[in-house]
Amino acid sequence: MTQQPLIQVKNLDLYFGAFHALKNVSVDFNAGELIGLVGDNGAGKTTLIRVLCGIHAPSKGEVFFDGKKVEKFHPKLAIDQGIETIQQSVGLCDNLSIARNFYLGREPVKRIFGIPFLDFAKMREKSSRVIRQFGLRENVSADDEVERLSGGERQSVKIGRAVEFKNRVVIMDEPTNHLSVREREHVNELAVQLKEQGLLVIYITHDIFQVHKLADRIVIMENGEKVADASTDSMSAEALEDVIRQGGRVVEKEAV
Amino acid sequence: MALSAAKPLIRRHTEIGIFLIGAILIVIFASTSDGRWANLYNIGTIMQVTATLGLMSLGVAIVIGTGEIDISVGSTFGMGALAHLWLAARIDPVFAALAAIAVGAAIGYVNGWLITRTKTPSLIITLGTLMIFRGIAIALTDGFSFSIPYAERNGWTYSLLGGGDFLGFNTALFWLIAVFAVLIVVLKAMPFGNRLLAVGGSADSAHSRGVRVDRIKLSAFVICGMLAAFAGALEAGKLGFADGSMGRLMELQAIASCVLGGCLLAGGRISLIGALMGAFVLSSIQSYLVVTGVQPQWFILILGLIVVGAAYGDKSLRNWAIRK
Repeated sequence: MTQQPLIQVKNLDLYFGAFHALKNVSVDFNAGELIGLVGDNGAGKTTLIRVLCGIHAPSKGEVFFDGKKVEKFHPKLAIDQGIETIQQSVGLCDNLSIARNFYLGREPVKRIFGIPFLDFAKMREKSSRVIRQFGLRENVSADDEVERLSGGERQSVKIGRAVEFKNRVVIMDEPTNHLSVREREHVNELAVQLKEQGLLVIYITHDIFQVHKLADRIVIMENGEKVADASTDSMSAEALEDVIRQGGRVVEKEAV
Repeated sequence: MALSAAKPLIRRHTEIGIFLIGAILIVIFASTSDGRWANLYNIGTIMQVTATLGLMSLGVAIVIGTGEIDISVGSTFGMGALAHLWLAARIDPVFAALAAIAVGAAIGYVNGWLITRTKTPSLIITLGTLMIFRGIAIALTDGFSFSIPYAERNGWTYSLLGGGDFLGFNTALFWLIAVFAVLIVVLKAMPFGNRLLAVGGSADSAHSRGVRVDRIKLSAFVICGMLAAFAGALEAGKLGFADGSMGRLMELQAIASCVLGGCLLAGGRISLIGALMGAFVLSSIQSYLVVTGVQPQWFILILGLIVVGAAYGDKSLRNWAIRK
């Protein structure tokens, strides 16, 4: 490979107490690539991307971003580097409004005598405009609390936020969960568009057939280990599915 | 029906319960005390007590907003009172109050640092510091009290810091109003407030969005410590003396004010105006028992009954409001 990988993971190990969650994982992620990260529940896909987005620090091994070794792991640092993540189980605070969630951690401010005050007009206007593209109903206001939203609408807030702040990397953990067929297609198209704009897109799913159509490369994880890493041109979805089967388990079809 | 129209309002504003309770109690107290409760002098006293308890409650509410709790505020209040009074006899009361606030900030920092570093529940840590700083306060005073002679209780800065009245009310009340106004703006209209409530709503989610959860919690404890110590300083200024037992059991009243005022102990949802109303209600009850000649030892019992009753009433109101 001539091009330097945007994110390089080298011999990564992660323990949660005695539990060995990631075992000597090495993967290269390139800019302008859409990578499907596939595996069963508990295979370690979410754990791996939680290292990339700074939530977990690895126990052993190294991560390089843009050729530089990552020394400190914190979501703030990852976000500042341009890594946006659509997390599956975290990311929204139920007690806050849509607009406040959208800008959490990077609130736009107007300074009066140097004191930062929230720019409510911008927060409301921009967040609702962006999220409407991803299935937020017209009668939901940006001031409504996230608690009131349906599963799909919650997902649309996370996706809208990632797209708005997209920078260099977008990681999507089961992005189409809770979405309708039409919204799902929209998200998948979007993943391809982001890639075509030169971003690195990491797409996590159970459904190898769905992601095989979109991805340039598929990485399969099993029991905390990487068991396959192949371009979608070189291996068919069926062949990759066999790899997972040989791991001793069967990939579940994503629930609709 | 007209009552149903109030449902969305009650759902949105958790503090409505305490305002209803407050209104009912005011009517009862005023009509059963033969003018001894509802007179200007007594209301002034209630306002002074509300001001010091309210300052403490605001700080506790901020900590509750992050999903933690601070039960050490009674001892912090005592330390603030001692620091202020000891210094006010020697230097200008303004610097004495600043020193008291610094003591409170230090205690808050110790609480926050221990909690965020050791990941130990704040209930345990602040229970420990409650005893530690009470112990220090008693040891410092050696069983005696500090006092400032009447002759020396003059100068406008002494009056400004709880030692005098303005427009018929103790100056502590105006400090409370000022602090309340600042905190409301910080909480509702600044990034810090957004992140603070996010931490209380879901610390994991806030962390994943790059919020420095530990720093937010630490700041909340520092703010809480500063307010409790400042309240202590104002109280000491009012009384002109301070001993090692000042603020004892006040932490319970402050937490009760917050909970009655609609602050959710799980974090993320707090009402500052509710906490203040809670402080006012508790002060009013206390005053009512005094003016009607009830023995002071009954206060804590009656307070407990009212807290339980009010909590039940508030819950019932909420359940009613949630129903379609």
